[in-house]
Amino acid sequence: MIEVDSLSKVFTDKKRGEVRAVDGVSFTATPGEIFGLLGPNGAGKTTLIRMLATILEPTAGTARIQGHDIRTEPEKVRASIGYLTGSAGLYERLTAREMLEYFGALYGLPPAETKRRIDSLISELEMGEFANGRCDKLSTGQRQRVSIARSLLHQPPVLFFDEPTSGLDVVAARTVVRFIKRCRDEGRTVVFSTHIMSEVEALCDRIAVVYQGKIAAIGTLAELRARTGATTFETVFLRLIGQDDEEEGEKGRL
Amino acid sequence: MKPWQIVFRKEFFEVFRDSRTLFNIIISPLLITPLILAVIGGMARRQVQDAQKAVVPVAAVGLDKAPRVAALFENATDDNLKVTEMTRADAEQAIAQRKVRAAFVVPENADKLLDEMTPVPVTLLLDQGSQSSQEAAERLKLVLNQKGQQLAVVRLSMRGLSPEVATPFTTTEKGIQGGASRGTLMLATFLPYIMALSAIMGGIYLANDSVAGEKERGTLETLLVTPASRRDLVLGKFLAVAAIALVSGSLSLIGLLWPFAIKLPAFSWMSESGLSLRPAAVAAMFLVQLPLAVLGAGLLLSISTFARNQKEAQSYLGPVILCASVAALLSMMIKAEAPLVWAFVPITNAALVLKQALEGVSNPAFVAAACAASVVYAAAAVAFATHLFQREAILLKA
Ligand SMILES: Nc1ncnc2c1ncn2[C@@H]1O[C@H](COP(=O)(O)OP(=O)(O)OP(=O)(O)O)[C@@H](O)[C@H]1O
Ligand SMILES: [Mg+2]
Repeated sequence: MIEVDSLSKVFTDKKRGEVRAVDGVSFTATPGEIFGLLGPNGAGKTTLIRMLATILEPTAGTARIQGHDIRTEPEKVRASIGYLTGSAGLYERLTAREMLEYFGALYGLPPAETKRRIDSLISELEMGEFANGRCDKLSTGQRQRVSIARSLLHQPPVLFFDEPTSGLDVVAARTVVRFIKRCRDEGRTVVFSTHIMSEVEALCDRIAVVYQGKIAAIGTLAELRARTGATTFETVFLRLIGQDDEEEGEKGRL
Repeated sequence: MKPWQIVFRKEFFEVFRDSRTLFNIIISPLLITPLILAVIGGMARRQVQDAQKAVVPVAAVGLDKAPRVAALFENATDDNLKVTEMTRADAEQAIAQRKVRAAFVVPENADKLLDEMTPVPVTLLLDQGSQSSQEAAERLKLVLNQKGQQLAVVRLSMRGLSPEVATPFTTTEKGIQGGASRGTLMLATFLPYIMALSAIMGGIYLANDSVAGEKERGTLETLLVTPASRRDLVLGKFLAVAAIALVSGSLSLIGLLWPFAIKLPAFSWMSESGLSLRPAAVAAMFLVQLPLAVLGAGLLLSISTFARNQKEAQSYLGPVILCASVAALLSMMIKAEAPLVWAFVPITNAALVLKQALEGVSNPAFVAAACAASVVYAAAAVAFATHLFQREAILLKA
C-alpha cells in the first residue's frame, strides 16, 4: 500500500535556479495493483520514486508505505520496498551469488534463509549457468536478471520499477515484465515508471500521467480514453499533457 | 552482524580481488620499495666511491718562481689531483671554462717566506657556483694542510721538540651503550616519510572505488535503498579504507625491515654500523599508523563522496597528495627534538613521533600533543565524510 500526500521536490540547480521536479503529487496504489507512472523525459518520475524510496528527502508533503511515513521511518520503509532501475549496477568483482548474499545480509535475512531464497531465484530466473561467475563477465540481460533477484530477495510488499527495461532486448525485457506481473499476482503493490506506451498498455492497472512534476491525469486505461475521446494511447497521452496539435508525433514526442 | 560490519567485510575483502590492490598493497611495499631503496642506496654509494677515485684537474700559479714550494708538491699525497702550471689569468679562464676545477696561487716571495718560517699566503681560486669546483678546492686545502703538517714536524724536530707539542688534543668517537646506531639514524630520516605517505596512499584505491566508483557504476543507489542507514554505510566503508591503509602501512614497514633482518648484502651500506631497534621504536612504528590511516581514510572518503566519478576523484586527489607529501617531507628536515608547534601539524607530527622513537628521544609532551591533535584531525575528517555522505545533493550528483 502506497499513500502519497502532496509530495513536492524542489532542486536548486546552479544554472537553472529552482527546479520543481515534483509538484504536489498525490495518489494511492493498492496491493495487487500495477500503478503506472507515464511521462516524458524530465517529467519527475525518477525524482518521485526516489523520494518514495527515501533516497531523496521531500521538500514538502509526505507519503506512507505499508503505513510507514517516509520522513519519520525511512528505515522501515526501505525494509518493505524493492527497487529496480534500468541503470542499476552490480558489484563487478563479486559473483552474482555473493552479491545476492551481501544484499540478503543488508536486508537482515538469516544466512540459511538467504541461501534458500537465492537458490530459488536462481532457478526461477534461469541464472544457474552464470550465478557463480563474476558479475563483470555478464551480458546486459544477465545483469538485469541479477538485479531483479536483488530487488525481490527480501520479498518486499511494495516494489518500484523505474524504467527497468531500458537498454534490454525484447527477450530480456519480457523476463522483466513477467516478473512485474508475478509481483502483482502475489499481491504486492507495484509502481512502474516508463515512457514506453506499449508497456503501460500491457501492464498497468491504473496510470498516472506525469508532466512537469504534476499528475496531469489518473485512472484506468479505459477511463483515460473516455476522458480524452482518443483511441490510440499515444493520442490519449498527448492530449492529457496538452501537446496534441494535429501534426501527431512531431511535438511532445516520447 | 550489524550493517556496518557487513559493509566493512564486503568492502575489505572485495578489494583484494583486484589485481591492482594485490600489487599496490602487497607486492609493491614488500618487494618493490626495498628494491628501489637498495638500488638508490647502491647508486649513491657508488657515486661517492667514484668521486674519490676520479682524477681532478687543478692548476697551480706561481710555482715557477718558488721552486722549493714546487718541490713539496712533486710528491703530493693525493694521486688523483692532476696539477698543471699556468698563469693566474689562464687559471681563472680555465676554471670558468671548467677545464680545471680549481687552482692555487702561491705568491712570488713564497720561497723566502718559507725560509723565514712565516706562513705562506696561498690563494685558492674556485667557481663558487660549482659543486665540483668547491670539492676540488677542498681537496687542495687538504693537501696543503698535510704538507704543512709534515713541514711542521720537520721544523719542530729541527729545534729538538717532539711533534706532539703541536697536537695538544686527540679525539676519538665512541657510541654509547643503548644509544641509537648510525643505521637507525638513517632509518629515522626516511622511514617516517615513507610510512606517513603509505599509510595514506594505501587507501586511495578502495576509497575512490567505494563511493565515487559506486556512483559511477550505479550500485550506490541499490545500497541506499537497503534498510542500512547512511551512517552504517559510511562507517563500514570508512573502516574498510582505514583498515586497508593500515595493512598497506604495516606491509611497507615489514618491507623496509626484512632486508635488514636477513642482512641482505644490498642493504649493508645502511646497516653495517648496526641497526638496533628498541621495542618501543617498533611499537611506535606500528602505532603512529593508526591516526594516519584514520585521517587519510576520512580525507579520501570525503573526496570520493564529493566526486561524481572516479576520474574526478583522482583529479581532486592531486593537491591532497601533494600536501601530504610536503607534510611528510617536513619530518625529514626537522630534528627529532622539534618544538611543540610541530605536534599540531597533521602527518608531520606522526612522522616526528616516529622519528623520536627511532632516535630514542623522549618527549612525552610532544607525543601527547601529537596524539591529541591527530585524534581531533582524524575525527574532523571522518565527520566531514559522514556529513557529505548524508547530503543527497552530493551523493546523487549526476
Ligand atoms: N539532483 C538534481 N539536481 C537538480 N535537478 C535535478 C536533479 N535530479 C533531477 N533534476 C531535475 O528534475 C527534473 C525531473 O527529473 P527526473 O529525473 O525525475 O525525470 P524523469 O521523469 O525520471 O525523466 P527520465 O524519463 O528522463 O528519466 C528534471 O528537470 C531534472 O533535470
Ligand atoms: Mg527517470
